[in-house]
Amino acid sequence: MKAPLSWLREYVAVDLPVDELADRLALTGTEVERVSLVGVRDDEKVQERFVVGKVLTCEKHPNADKLHVCTVDVGEEHPRTIVCGAPNVAAGQTVPVCLPGAVMPDGFEIKQAKLRGVISSGMIMSEAEMGFAVKSSGILELPDAYEAGELLVDRLPLSEYVLEVEVTPNRPDCLSVRGLAREIAAVTGEDFLEEERFDFEYGSRPVVDDISIEVWDPDLCPRYSARVIRGVTIGESPTWLKARIMQIGMRPVNNVVDITNYVMWAVGEPMHAFDLDKVRGGKIIVRRAKEGEPIHTLDDVDRVLTSDMLVIADAQQPSVIAGIMGSMDSEITDVTTNILLEAATFHGGNIMRTSGALGLRSEASTRFEKGLDPNVTPLALDMSCQLITEICGGEVSVGTVDVKAGEWNPWEVRLRPSRVEAILGTRVETDDTAAVLGRLGCEVKSAGEELLVLVPTFRRDLEREIDLVEEVARIHGLDQLPSTVPGREQGRGGLNVAQNRMRTMQDILTGAGLQQVLTYSFHEPGWADKLRLPLDDARRAAVVVANPISGDQSVMRTMLLPCLLATAARNLAVRNTRLHIFETSKTFHPEGAELPRETERIGAVLMGPWLQESWLKGGVATDFFLAKGVVERLLAGLGLVADFTVATEPFLHPGKGARVAVAGKEIGWVGEVHPLVLQAYDLPAGVMALELESEAIIAVAGGVPLFEDLMTYPALEQDLALVVDAGVAAAELERVVREAGAPLLRECRIFDVYEGESVGAGRKSLAVRLVFRSPERTLSEAEVGEVRAKVLAALKAQLAAELRN
Amino acid sequence: MERADLRAIYQQGIAALEAARDLDALEEARVRFLGRKADLSNLLRSIAELAPEDKRVVGRFGNLVKKELEAAYDARHTQLEQAELVHGLAKDSVDVTLPGRELPLGHLHLITQTRREIEAIFIGMGYEVAEGPEVETDYYNFTALNTPEDHPARSLHDTFFVTDNVLLRTHTSPVQVRVMEKQRPPVYVIVPGKAYRRDSDATHTPMFHQVEGLVVDHGITLADLKGTLEQFAKAMFGEDRRIRLRPHFFPFTEPSVEVDVSCMACNGNGCRLCKRTGWLEILGAGMVDPNVFGFVNYDPEEFTGFAFGMGIERIAMLKYGVSDLRLFYENDLRFLTQF
Repeated sequence: MKAPLSWLREYVAVDLPVDELADRLALTGTEVERVSLVGVRDDEKVQERFVVGKVLTCEKHPNADKLHVCTVDVGEEHPRTIVCGAPNVAAGQTVPVCLPGAVMPDGFEIKQAKLRGVISSGMIMSEAEMGFAVKSSGILELPDAYEAGELLVDRLPLSEYVLEVEVTPNRPDCLSVRGLAREIAAVTGEDFLEEERFDFEYGSRPVVDDISIEVWDPDLCPRYSARVIRGVTIGESPTWLKARIMQIGMRPVNNVVDITNYVMWAVGEPMHAFDLDKVRGGKIIVRRAKEGEPIHTLDDVDRVLTSDMLVIADAQQPSVIAGIMGSMDSEITDVTTNILLEAATFHGGNIMRTSGALGLRSEASTRFEKGLDPNVTPLALDMSCQLITEICGGEVSVGTVDVKAGEWNPWEVRLRPSRVEAILGTRVETDDTAAVLGRLGCEVKSAGEELLVLVPTFRRDLEREIDLVEEVARIHGLDQLPSTVPGREQGRGGLNVAQNRMRTMQDILTGAGLQQVLTYSFHEPGWADKLRLPLDDARRAAVVVANPISGDQSVMRTMLLPCLLATAARNLAVRNTRLHIFETSKTFHPEGAELPRETERIGAVLMGPWLQESWLKGGVATDFFLAKGVVERLLAGLGLVADFTVATEPFLHPGKGARVAVAGKEIGWVGEVHPLVLQAYDLPAGVMALELESEAIIAVAGGVPLFEDLMTYPALEQDLALVVDAGVAAAELERVVREAGAPLLRECRIFDVYEGESVGAGRKSLAVRLVFRSPERTLSEAEVGEVRAKVLAALKAQLAAELRN
Repeated sequence: MERADLRAIYQQGIAALEAARDLDALEEARVRFLGRKADLSNLLRSIAELAPEDKRVVGRFGNLVKKELEAAYDARHTQLEQAELVHGLAKDSVDVTLPGRELPLGHLHLITQTRREIEAIFIGMGYEVAEGPEVETDYYNFTALNTPEDHPARSLHDTFFVTDNVLLRTHTSPVQVRVMEKQRPPVYVIVPGKAYRRDSDATHTPMFHQVEGLVVDHGITLADLKGTLEQFAKAMFGEDRRIRLRPHFFPFTEPSVEVDVSCMACNGNGCRLCKRTGWLEILGAGMVDPNVFGFVNYDPEEFTGFAFGMGIERIAMLKYGVSDLRLFYENDLRFLTQF
C-alpha cells in the first residue's frame, strides 16, 4: 500500500521527518517497506530550478520544422530564450519551466544547450516529464493566476514522499490513506482530522427513476449502495489527480475511473462505476453466477464462472465479478454520460475463494477479501459525488439506493488490566491502557476492575480481550518490555534416543568421508521409468502435488535415489566428477489413510574414485565393496551387523546388488547402479548407491552395551584355507563356520579369495581367520583343535569344502 | 708367561676394539682377541700345563683381561650399532612437505549444522525436540492454528495441495498442535523440519527449513519470549547482539511480533547487509492465541504460552554470509564442502 505523505497529512497533522515516521510505524506494527521520493529531489537547490514561466513570444525555429523558439519570463530581469518542441506551445501561456541545473525526476540534468543553432536556456515541461502522467502529448498549461518566477514546488506536487507500507491481513482499515492516517495519529499522539463535510448538490431526478437494485444473495453482499450521476463529461483528470494516481502506482485512465480509484485509496472502499446506459433493464441484480456463465473481464480474458461466485448483473448478464473486476462491455468509455456508482461490501471469504479460483487479484479484491466495514459506503459515495461533480460535471440524482442486510454498530469488549500484565509480563497503568485504546478510536469506560471498550466498526479485528491486549502492547511500546527467561519446573530437555541415533548415523557417514546433501522432497513423475521400475512396483505409488510450480516438482518421492542421481549429474555438469554424497530425509508412501506414511531414509551415491591417485600411487576405486563397506560401517557404528543377500532391483546391476537385512528384517539395498539408469541420468558407469530405512535401523539398534571381559584370557587365532565350489557364497561359508564353531569361535573373517589352477577349475579357495576365545579360561591347543575339527567336518558335510594343501 | 705379555694383549685388544669403525671390523677384532683361537683363549685353555707361578699369574690376570676386553667389546658394539642406526635413519628421510595420505573428509550440510546449533541452544534451555508429518491436513496446518477457511491470512501462504484437505505443510507450526494434543503443560519444545510453499525466486525456495518453538506453562509472558530469544540471538550470533520486537500479525499468536537482531556485520551502526537500519529480521513470534488453546483443550486462563518460528536458511545465511538461498539446494560440492 503506497501512501503519499501529503495525502496522509490531509488527515493527520504529523510533522515528524518522514524517516522517523517510518520508524515509528515499523515499531508499532506497520512495516514500512520503503520510503521513496517521487518526482524532483527534495533539495531546495534543485527545486528552485523549477519555476512558473510566461511565454511572451513563440516563433517557429528558423532551422527546424517542429521546434519553436520562445521567450519566456521566469521572473528574472530578462526573459529567457527557450526552444520547445511541443505542438501546443503558444505565446500567452503560463507554463512550468525548468532552468539549467535542474535535475529531472529521471535523473537527467538540464543544461543550457544549442538546439539547431539556437541557445536554449531551459525547458518547458509536460506532465509526463514531471512524473504526473505516463505520457503527454504536449506541455502542461498552468492557470494564468500563477506568477512568473514562482517556485513550482509551491504549486504542484513536484517532490512527494511516498510511504510503501506492508499492511497485515488483519488490518484492512489501513489499506486506505484515511485509515493509515488514523493509525499514524494513534502511534504519534497527533490528532486525526475527519473530512470536511461534502457540499455537492443533488439534481432533481430521483435516483429510483434511474435504477433499481436487487440483492438476491445478501449472505455474500451485506450492503450495496449506489448513486447515479447524469451528464458527466469523460476526459483527462486534472494534474493533481493524475499525480496522485501515479504516486500510488496506478495509471491514470480517465477522470471518472481515476476518481473511483482515488476514493478507494482514500477511504479503503473499492468503487465501481457503470455506464448507466449499458445497464440493461435499468436493473442491477447482485446474485450468484450461473454455473458456466461467461464474462469477458477488463483484462481482456474470457472467464467462465461457477455458481459459488458472486456477480453484479443487469437484467440480462453479469457486468462485474463482484469485488474483483468488471467486464469490458459495462466499462466507462469516452462517450459515457450517465454513470452508476457502486459502493458495496462483500463476504471476504467468498471474494478470496473466487479470486483464488480464477487466479485473478485486483486492488479491489485484496481489500474485499479481508472483510470491509459496511459503514464506509456512504462516505465513499459522498466523496465520489463531490469529486465527480467538481471535475466531470453532471447532476447527482436524488438519494442513494442502499440495500442493507443489517445494521452495524460498535461492540463491547471487556478488558482486565490484570490480563494485560499477565500476557505482557510488565505492568501497564490502567489510564495508559485506556488512553491507547481511545487513540485507536475506541470508547473506554471503567467498570470496577475492568474496562468496557466500545470498538468502532472499522476495527473488525478487535473482537476479544486478547485483541485489545495486543493493541496496548504495540502502541504502548515493546521496547520497554523486560527480558526474562521462563523457569521450567518439571520435565527436562534433550534429544530422544531416535534423534540421537539419527545424528550418530549422520556423523558416522560424514566421519567416513561422505558429504551430506539436502534435495527437494518432490521430483519429476518420470523418475520411476528412469529407474526401470515395473509398472506394479509399489514404489510407483506416490503422493502427487495437485498444484506444483512445475511438472518436475510434482511427485513426492518414495525413494531418495533419483534425487541423489540428479544431484550427481548436476555436479558432474560443473565438473565435480568425484562425489560421495548422502542424504537423510523423509519419503512419502500413500497407504490408504488420509495422510501418507512418512519414513526417514538414508541414501547415498558414490561416484568417482574414493581415494585419488597420488604421488603415493594407487588410489582406491569406487566399487561395490566400497558401498557395502559404507553400509557395514554405518551399522557397526550402531552395534549392528547386516546380512547381505543377492538383490534383484531393476535399477541395480544384476550381478552387483545386495539386499541388506538386520536381525532378520530387511532394511534396504546397496549396489552398483544399472548402466541403463545411469544413462538416463547422464552419469558414467560405475556409480554405486545405497538406500536404507533409517527408522528401521533405529528401531533394531541395541540399547546400552554391557561390558564383557575380553582382556583377562587371551584369544587363539587360526587361519584356514578352504576350497569350495566357486558358486558357494562367502556368507554361506561364514555361516557354517560360525554355527559349527560356537560358542568358542568368536570371530570369523574372510581375508583372501583365490581362484586358479592350483585349486582346480570351478573351485575357489577362501582364506579364513578364526579367533577363539573363552571369557572364563585360557583355551588349550587341544580344545581349539576339537572345535576346528568340528568346523572342518561341518564345512565338508554342508559345502563339500576341503582344506587346501 | 709374563704379566707383561698379558698387559700387551690387554692393551692391543682394547686398542683394536676401540679402533673398529664398523660392526664387521669389531667382529674381526673380537675374533682376534676373544675368539677361540685367540692368544688369550689359548693361554687360558692351557693353564693346567703352566708352571705354578705362571698358573697363578695367568689365572688371576688372564681372566681379568678377558672380562675387560669383553666389556669393551660390548660397549663398542652398542656404540657402533647406534651409530649405524643413526646413519641409516639419516639416509631414510622423506620430503615432509609432500601431501599426506588422503583420508576423506565429509561435511554435514550447512542446514544440518545450523539446525544442530539451534537445537543445542534450546536444549541447553530445557527444550525437547519434536517432529511431525510434512504432508499434513488442512486442520493442523491452518484451522487449529486459528486460520479457518476464508481467513485472509491463508492467502499469505502459497500452499501446495495434495487434495482439498491434504497439503504440504506451509510451516512447522502444525506440530505445535500435535504436541499439545498429546501432552499437558509444561510444554517446552522446538520443532525443526521442512516446510513447503509455492514460491520460487531469488529469495524463496519451494522447500525450506524452519525451527518452531513452543512454550506453554503457568505464567508465561511476552517478556519471557523476549528474554528467551535474546539468549538465542546471543548464543547464535555473539554476546554483543541485542534484539528488538516489532508488532506484527500471525493468526495463531496474539500479540504477535517480528524479531530483529542487531546487525552482526556493523554492530547495529547500519551497513549494506542490514540496509542501513542496524537491524536484521530473524524470526516471527508471539503469545499463543487463546483460540489455539481452545483446539487442544488448554485453559487460557490457567496457562499462557509463546511460540516462535524461524527459517534455518535465513539464520545460516546471516551467520555464514551465504549470499543466495538457492545455493542450499543446488548441492554443488564447491558450496557444500566450504562448511
